[in-house]
Amino acid sequence: MSKVKLTINGTQVSGREGMTILEVAQENGIDIPTLCYSPDLRPIGACRICVVEVEGSRLLVGSCHTPIAPEMVIQTHSPRVLEARKVILELLFGSHCGSCMLCNKANVCNLRSIAADLEVGLPRFQLRKRFHPIEDVSPYVQRDLTKCVLCWRCIRACQEIAKQSVYATGYRGFDSKVIVDCDVPLDKEVCRDCGICITYCPTGALTRPTKLGKEKPGKSLVITK
Amino acid sequence: MDKSPEEIPFHNRDQQNVLVMLEEAQYEAGCVSEARIAEVAESLDVSQSEVYGVATFYSFLSVKPLGRNVIRVCKSLPCYLKNSRMIIESIAAELGIKPGETTPDMKFSFELTNCIGGCDKAPAMLINSDVHGDLTPEKIAQILKSYD
Repeated sequence: MSKVKLTINGTQVSGREGMTILEVAQENGIDIPTLCYSPDLRPIGACRICVVEVEGSRLLVGSCHTPIAPEMVIQTHSPRVLEARKVILELLFGSHCGSCMLCNKANVCNLRSIAADLEVGLPRFQLRKRFHPIEDVSPYVQRDLTKCVLCWRCIRACQEIAKQSVYATGYRGFDSKVIVDCDVPLDKEVCRDCGICITYCPTGALTRPTKLGKEKPGKSLVITK
Repeated sequence: MDKSPEEIPFHNRDQQNVLVMLEEAQYEAGCVSEARIAEVAESLDVSQSEVYGVATFYSFLSVKPLGRNVIRVCKSLPCYLKNSRMIIESIAAELGIKPGETTPDMKFSFELTNCIGGCDKAPAMLINSDVHGDLTPEKIAQILKSYD
């Protein structure tokens, strides 16, 4: 593995050939926000949150999938980059249901934590909100696709780690959706003892179903002396 | 990054045949039925959801049975700027159905599609394989009358 020298935010750093910009940045303690990226999964550069400025490149590039090259000069937090990230978040929120107050995963949500970091409040763009009825047929995974941001992490985790391919992308453009079989509610026996998609979901779209009736079985606890 | 293409089911060579097989189904039966999707998935060893994903991505494949004549109005930008919305509305008013629907007598299906390469005569639409360009709401009734 040959070493590659490059400059990130004015500092000389080095990485190994084949590494992505994001990996080198992380190794050097530079925090680039990511949403669709996971070190365990094939990078697809879908969400664009991780964009950075590369000198000589007309467009911002996705750092999670762009390999480093010798003498690259990269800015990870320039005004242009931060502005682009904010707009991307606002676009993601534009059609997102926005019901964080009612969402059980609100305080573990990657999307929301990135928004808080970048100081994005109410989005400027108000679009028709995506709506999909909640899917709670499966006893193993509950899907609320209204909260989905189409990062494809569930699809990739299911394919690459669980080796199952339960999910795929369906439809096109604004109608895009993570589907199961011929777009039927998820109810598969292979999901028993797995639920890896839940772990990888950055929002509240995938959760483990809770059966409220089963949470307190038996008699109530009474403490006596 | 470090995975070879063979390890990734999404890119496996067999899956390249999905589109050809779905086109065949569309040509033979006028739509891609769920049974056919299951067959394709089985024969190429990919999941049904992936095949269904391909079938719903392309506007010339349909997972629902279509009518005898299929109207496909372009929804891309050049036609939009030339007022394709008015065309869509007047077809909807003429047939009494919305985009994505089929008339109860199965005479017409009304679909929207991405660019059909008729930008020079925008707004444009396809009926079956005939291109109709430079559309105005007034022309719609006459054009639809010539199909049965």
